[in-house]
Amino acid sequence: MLEVGYSVPRFDARSKVTGEEKYAADCFPEGFAWGGVKRAGIAHAKIVGIETAPARALAGVIAVLTHQDVPGTNRQGLVHKDQPVLAAEKVRHWGDPVALVIAESRETLARALSLIRVDLEPLPGVFDAEQALRPQAPLVHESGNLLLKGEIRAGKGEDALGECEIVVEETFEVPFQEHAFIETENGVAWQEADGTICMHVSSQAPFRDRFEIAHALGIDPLKIRVSSPYLGGGFGGKDGATVQCLLALAALNSGGRPVKMSWDREESFVAGYKRHPVRMYYRLGARPDGTLHGLHCRLYWDTGPYAHLGGEVMELGMEHAGGPYRIPNTEIEGWCVYTNNPISGAMRGFGVCQVSFAFERVMDLLAKKLGMDPLALRIKNGLRRGDKNCCGVTMVHSTGIVPCLEALGRHRLWTERDEWKRSAGPFKRRGTGIAAVLNAMGYGRGLPDSAIARVELTPEGKIRVFCGVVDMGQGNSNAFLQIAGEILCQDSSCVELVHPDTGRTHPSGSSSAGRTTYTYGNALIRACEELKAKLFHRTALFLMLDEPRGLALAPGAVRHLPTNREVPLAMLGKSFPESDRVCISEYVMPVAQDVPDTGKDFSIGFPHVLFSHAAHIACVEVDELTGKVTVEKYLAVTEGGRIINPQGFEQQVHGAVGQGIGYALMERLMMKDGRILNPDFTNYILPTSLDLPDLDSIAVETVEPTGPFGMKGIGEVGINAPLPAIASAIEDAVGAAVNRAPISAACVLHALSGRERANDADGGVQR
Amino acid sequence: MRNVFQPESLPELWRVFEAHPGASVCAGGTDLLVKMRSAMMNPESIACVDRIPDLRGITTEEGGMLRIGACATHGQIVSDPAVRRMFPILVRAVENLGSPPIRNMGTIGGNICTASPAGDTLPPLYALGAEIELRCKAAQRRMLLKDFISGPGKTCLRQGEILASVRLKPPEGYYNNIQHFEKVGQRNALACSIASLAALLQVASDGVVLKAALAWGSVAPVVMTCPDAEKELIGKPLTSETLRRAAAAARQCANPISDVRADRDYRLEVLGNLLMRLLEVAPESAPARDY
Amino acid sequence: MKISFTLNGKSTEVDVAPDRRVVDLLREDLRLTGTKEGCGAGECGACTILVNGESRLSCLMLAAQLEGRCVTTIEGIGEEGRLHPVQEAFIECGAVQCGFCSPGMVISAVDLLGRDPNPGRGEIRRGLSGNLCRCTGYVKIVDAVETAARRMNAASDVKPDAGEKERVVPGAPGQGQRR
Repeated sequence: MLEVGYSVPRFDARSKVTGEEKYAADCFPEGFAWGGVKRAGIAHAKIVGIETAPARALAGVIAVLTHQDVPGTNRQGLVHKDQPVLAAEKVRHWGDPVALVIAESRETLARALSLIRVDLEPLPGVFDAEQALRPQAPLVHESGNLLLKGEIRAGKGEDALGECEIVVEETFEVPFQEHAFIETENGVAWQEADGTICMHVSSQAPFRDRFEIAHALGIDPLKIRVSSPYLGGGFGGKDGATVQCLLALAALNSGGRPVKMSWDREESFVAGYKRHPVRMYYRLGARPDGTLHGLHCRLYWDTGPYAHLGGEVMELGMEHAGGPYRIPNTEIEGWCVYTNNPISGAMRGFGVCQVSFAFERVMDLLAKKLGMDPLALRIKNGLRRGDKNCCGVTMVHSTGIVPCLEALGRHRLWTERDEWKRSAGPFKRRGTGIAAVLNAMGYGRGLPDSAIARVELTPEGKIRVFCGVVDMGQGNSNAFLQIAGEILCQDSSCVELVHPDTGRTHPSGSSSAGRTTYTYGNALIRACEELKAKLFHRTALFLMLDEPRGLALAPGAVRHLPTNREVPLAMLGKSFPESDRVCISEYVMPVAQDVPDTGKDFSIGFPHVLFSHAAHIACVEVDELTGKVTVEKYLAVTEGGRIINPQGFEQQVHGAVGQGIGYALMERLMMKDGRILNPDFTNYILPTSLDLPDLDSIAVETVEPTGPFGMKGIGEVGINAPLPAIASAIEDAVGAAVNRAPISAACVLHALSGRERANDADGGVQR
Repeated sequence: MRNVFQPESLPELWRVFEAHPGASVCAGGTDLLVKMRSAMMNPESIACVDRIPDLRGITTEEGGMLRIGACATHGQIVSDPAVRRMFPILVRAVENLGSPPIRNMGTIGGNICTASPAGDTLPPLYALGAEIELRCKAAQRRMLLKDFISGPGKTCLRQGEILASVRLKPPEGYYNNIQHFEKVGQRNALACSIASLAALLQVASDGVVLKAALAWGSVAPVVMTCPDAEKELIGKPLTSETLRRAAAAARQCANPISDVRADRDYRLEVLGNLLMRLLEVAPESAPARDY
Repeated sequence: MKISFTLNGKSTEVDVAPDRRVVDLLREDLRLTGTKEGCGAGECGACTILVNGESRLSCLMLAAQLEGRCVTTIEGIGEEGRLHPVQEAFIECGAVQCGFCSPGMVISAVDLLGRDPNPGRGEIRRGLSGNLCRCTGYVKIVDAVETAARRMNAASDVKPDAGEKERVVPGAPGQGQRR
């Protein structure tokens, strides 16, 4: 039986471990051709000309397309439409697409791409957000390099720092991060006889993709059909157009043949979205007893050459800049800036991951200055329900940071930390560090966070869930079947899923923002309850009952409890037309009702009202000879309301922590003049199974009354804590602060040898 | 499309070489295919040599020499009882190389001929004084490995010639003492070495070092040996002071580069620091640690 | 070029360019799409297959090299309609999220348990260290391999006519060295 609250093994696991599951990458339609892109290969230049004739002349080349062949606006972008499908006047980053080739084979495609000559007139580039704001900086766009300046202010703002007896101040830097899903960006597209463009694509937002394509290529959105199977990972990097507009353009020019495009790993690095690098200037003020009183921060976000979700990522980061703490007076300023670096956008943690490093590091600084226990300082200032957060929004929903911190404080990794640290072996030093974080759910104000669930009793008597929101691996579709099975009392053999398909399912938003299970799950609960009522009514007809009472669902049947008579679902399924077997229901996530008089610069997203919380502890060992840091033990305590599937909950926590440890210690994109020097898995270092410890996860269950079965999304919150917790643990071990990530062995070794902080150990290589 | 030949004997290989002088040799393919992908190499044809019996196997020859066929995979080397018994230093280097499938594919001959300063098998082979056997149609020659590799990616391999085997003398007097290897990488698997150290030490019962052979990877254009550092150890007890002096000598000798993995300063510091680990791995007979 | 080899237990002959990558032969020509490609450079393990019983990376092999060899892809793991214990354990233990690394991961686990039926968690981590997973943090994958090993050992222990060599004797020689 599919029961909510129980670790039902994922129903998609079977087809995935046998290799039967067909991802977009596994789609090789009959008679397909290959599509591929010629990229700029320079960070900033004027396009003087594009010579395509030799490529066109090559046997096996079906089409070579440039900006001149793009119908419509040739502009894509989720909020600001500033990104060309194919660059026209200028290229603004190394991976900007200049020409699109369709060819019979991959070999011909590669050959044709190498024959395209792009005549470029190099322009000076700008590769740092703050430098891009200087008056003389090269302009990425004629309108200027500032995409968005935002300000959030509460209480007396910055002035309150003057009232603080203790003020700590520090500057932090966080790097790019690559999503590094194992399935790269890819899809296939073709044009039907009636002109409809069909696309099967690895995307987190098929419904939104349709409008992106429609706008960029001037096509009727209803003449575009986008479907997404399971994704081989997404993490935000497939939220927004990657191959979509290019593929649709290819399908318009392939003579009716399907076109497949699959970025190889290097192209995925060069052209794909990244986590925003940010420089953060923090000042935090407190009273002598440790009560937080004022916060001022200035945050510079490098969004690359196109807006994508830059403004929204910055907004969320700013909204979380004060952490899970009560700070009555805040002034949070942010600049989201165009540069000629790769395009930054959505990634798990969505801006929050970046600021979490800063606010937790200044909390440690403050604890040190006060001589206070860092856990006690956090508990003292932790947000409780009814408090106002750093934006002045009242926490009216479940608010579990203090219970998380208290659970951490009872755990042996915390209580026995001194003993553990003392038992370090030769040439080793040990340290522990904690971090408290939160992460908002949903789109926030300005854009309804809604989903539409459709559930059907099939003619065969099965329950079919039409899912409009993608499963990129996080297991939301399993939760949906679990919810349907719970409400309709069916086991896993009687429920089935229809993947997101703009032709078959209903718009339910993107798979993102920790909203997927929450929003669609709520819609699904309503649809299932309606279906249940419908089935009872139809059963009453069959059994000639006066009214639909005394009925219960049982596996495969509806049972009349007083008489023990049953009507099989298959019979109900065969007896009624589709309209009588289908229920559709919609849900919209609640938003903050006390919108503070600030954050006016954000057209969408500000503020949020639902948050998940977490407290982590990292126990690290540092090797004195090499500076190598090993995370020996790790605990994540997570509050996300009630849990629908404990196994799925742990999967998300483990995965987020794993990515967070990579972000903290090893993932470094090396940039030189806008070029990525390590666009591959050889030199962009992801953690292997030998680099991560046996992670521990504890759930602090609260109830979120608005959540489906009381749950909240926890897919993101777990990635926010590893970097600050590990940085804190390293400081504990070596006695020197680390304020820049990733924390390389070289940096730690320099800290150990007591030299000046080694943030520049990587010289000109890092941005 | 390019031809792929799979000779099953050396005479067949010589025929391939004669007909296709531009053929690239492929042993395990873990390096060649990566280079072909990135267009660093574009051979007109490929000769896979992994089916040639003369290039395979691990055998003990008269005089106790161990012969490792050039096409012995890292996986075979790690699980070979004779290698495990006599050359734990090599086992330690190889068991950290790449990943399990890479070790199942990659060969010791490939690692040598690639001649990367970061090749994981090279420092232990240098420290062990490995000799290599080269064959061509008409002749066979032997030389010390350290004379074979002339620069990053450069060897003395001649046209039409192939590396047939590696020969190792049992390290008499060594294997009751210290055979140490440590690699510093950016992670614990699938890591290219940032710096590595292979150290063979014979330590007398009074704690005095009798013999020392040291070799470093990734700190110079080729694997670095450093007689000055070895001299600092020989005849002295294995103390942190001795090791510090040896480390200073080694740093004098090294010429590391900065690259995407690490910068020069880090490599310089670490290559010396790695020697300090010898205090920890010193056998019972060595004096008590004094750090 | 005609190439004959055994694919998942069946004699197979293909006519293919000798320098075609094995991963392309399997996925595109033979439509055995269970083998995935993640990097094309041997750094992620998504394309892992067994060749003559040993794990290999199909992105770093040329079609011609398969001649006369015995290839097992994820489609050949398990027996008619029955999952391999490793696959079962992956499902139960929650070792699968996006699943794109799973086929390669399963192959590596099968390879490991073939060499070492009784690995500790450290050996399991070592055995899987060539397979990148971006979703799981590996913990549940290690759990799954541990579970599968336990079950496979229990199953071979109770076989009444199991020969001595099939029996698992902890600490017996030939089970690989532990560190």
